Amino acid sequence: MATETLTAMDPAGLKAIGAGLAVGLTGIASGIAEKDIGSAAIGAMAENESLFGKGLILTVIPETIVIFGLVVALLING
Amino acid sequence: MQLLQKFKRGNSKKSQSKGHANYAYTTARVRAMKSKLLPKETYPRLMNMSIDEITRFIEESEYKEDVDELARQYEGVDLIEHALNRNLAETFTKLLKISDGDVNFLIGEKLKKFDIWNIKTILRGKYCNASTEEILDAIVAAGRMSYTSLSELAAKATYEEVISELTNTEYYPILKNYDGTNLSEVENQLDKMYYVGLFEAIGESKSKDRKLFAEFTRMGIDLKNLITLFRLKKSGITDPDAINLMIDGGLRCKLKETERLLPLSFEDFVSELESNPYWDVISDIVKPDMASLIDVETRLKKHRLKSAASFSHVYPISIVPIMDYMLSKQNEISNLRMIIRGKAANLEDDVIKEQLVI
Repeated sequence: MATETLTAMDPAGLKAIGAGLAVGLTGIASGIAEKDIGSAAIGAMAENESLFGKGLILTVIPETIVIFGLVVALLING
Repeated sequence: MQLLQKFKRGNSKKSQSKGHANYAYTTARVRAMKSKLLPKETYPRLMNMSIDEITRFIEESEYKEDVDELARQYEGVDLIEHALNRNLAETFTKLLKISDGDVNFLIGEKLKKFDIWNIKTILRGKYCNASTEEILDAIVAAGRMSYTSLSELAAKATYEEVISELTNTEYYPILKNYDGTNLSEVENQLDKMYYVGLFEAIGESKSKDRKLFAEFTRMGIDLKNLITLFRLKKSGITDPDAINLMIDGGLRCKLKETERLLPLSFEDFVSELESNPYWDVISDIVKPDMASLIDVETRLKKHRLKSAASFSHVYPISIVPIMDYMLSKQNEISNLRMIIRGKAANLEDDVIKEQLVI
């Protein structure tokens, strides 16, 4: 009787890859989005310091993208 | 996106990108600078002030540093005038400092106007034997040439020395034709060279930004030609050779069309203008028997400012907001100068008001 070796992927591994992609890609995306906003905020702040608060808030708004990614990653693993 | 544009552009030398350009930073900073310009409502208030009050107002505004710096050398109206010029130079060189890559290149090209202006001023000064101080008073070092190098030029004894000093610059091929008598011709050529340079800078590039820059410049040419035409017609010049004074490359008025208008009398010119694309802007003030051109010129300048502002809202992250700021800044300074000089010369308020472009 021939013995067949079954190479099945572990679903836990696939889950981990999915979660990694969710966090990693959204991280890159928010990085790209924040790049321009951040430099614009610095530019405006250089002329008018009172814009610091507004600049800071606008800069971190794309952070939501990576937070969604993180949530998705947690859901996958949960 | 930038990578894509690079591929699209290929390797043609003319249209090569001048490095990375950080538009977000530059435009945001320029917009913040624009918010510091004097608001419209200030001008009527300034009109009601005496010279001393205006001086005080300017001393307390954005021009404070410049006034403080120059207060030892000048006083009164001259002080304000020089402070305004200094501020203009500082602001524009600041634009060069805070930008990089493509933006820096395009701003530099635009600011060549001041380099040319300064060379012209020095040559004119030498032509009428003005002293070095007098020449330096009229210089606005807002371009790529620094104040130090310009003052070195101004200190030269004759125009030949000035020109030989400029041998390595792009202006030399035109300047070498100057023989001490044909100043106006050389000046015209220099001005034309500025526009040729601008168009070369825009090149064949298909990048959106340079297209916008081209459109912006060409509209300026249209309005400039129109103003020159008005002036020529008003003074009764119908010589077709005057076409040499016009600049080629307009956006909506072609040079051929302008050429056709040249031999007409003022009355015919005005009736022909009705088909001009800018007729809507000036239709209610242009009449065949109008006495002065001030209204028309102010209206056209205002139109330019307005269209620049609306253009900059359409393309917020591009070269346009920067160009818009440069125009508005220049306009603010010329308005302030008009008010202060007008007041000093005891002109009627109404006369000064007519001249202001608000």
